[in-house]
Amino acid sequence: MKKSNHKNISCEEALKRVFDYIDDHIQNTSRDEFEYHIELCRHCFDRVEFEKLLKSRLQALRYKRSSEWLRERVEDIIAEF
Amino acid sequence: MKLTSEEQRQLKDRVLPLLDDLHRLAYHLCHDENDTEDLVAETIKKACEKFRTLRDHGKIKPWLFRILRNTFVSLCRERKKYATIKYQEDNENEDERFSLFAEVSQPFLLWWGNPERELVNKLLEEDIKQALSEIQPEFRFVVVLCDVEGLSYREISNILDIPIGTVRSRIARGRSMLQRKLYDHAVEKGLIRKRDRHYEKI
Repeated sequence: MKKSNHKNISCEEALKRVFDYIDDHIQNTSRDEFEYHIELCRHCFDRVEFEKLLKSRLQALRYKRSSEWLRERVEDIIAEF
Repeated sequence: MKLTSEEQRQLKDRVLPLLDDLHRLAYHLCHDENDTEDLVAETIKKACEKFRTLRDHGKIKPWLFRILRNTFVSLCRERKKYATIKYQEDNENEDERFSLFAEVSQPFLLWWGNPERELVNKLLEEDIKQALSEIQPEFRFVVVLCDVEGLSYREISNILDIPIGTVRSRIARGRSMLQRKLYDHAVEKGLIRKRDRHYEKI
């Protein structure tokens, strides 16, 4: 467990920071406070794990590839200019 | 003005490795393979026209994404096929504050079960794509840039030319809309039973 000198923020405050946390857009004290809170609060910890899981399902859509036909079409467009 | 053969080579060398990224982003906006390829082709035409205005070639990816997004907005207006991009930052309704977690989680289960995670694992890729396709385009765009493409808030802010705070609020609202669609879909498919409770504020 982290040092307990961090302020234990409320669940309401933690909820406001969930997306910033999973998107790695939270820093320093704010991040430490958030992490301290989710170490202590099962409900908020579950919320973070849930949002991370959903984000990972969306990340998995990244495999989609373009067709060879589109590649040729783009090469033709560039050649025309 | 026609590009020189050296400029054509430079553009080709930089664009082709990004073609999958452009295609994927266009697909999540159009959800139709023909329209997707047309959107990418139109984006490349505009990129050719503006290539000399691109000062830093290292920033070609956000530059192309911005052109693609603007081209999509123009196509929406021309074809009237897709929902018009229209939104108000401060006009939130219940759908935009929806939390799938709040609807599905059962805190009393404590360590013995995670129905919310089980639900997300049960969803098929098609379910997620379908839900994504049903949210408003401007919110879908930021969710795709953030969650599918893995861009930072700052990168999205540069692409859309909007403040980071606006990026953050659009991502939150876009995710809420997505979760609402996923919830409706899960209820419809019988994966979960509808609960009568108030929505949780994010």
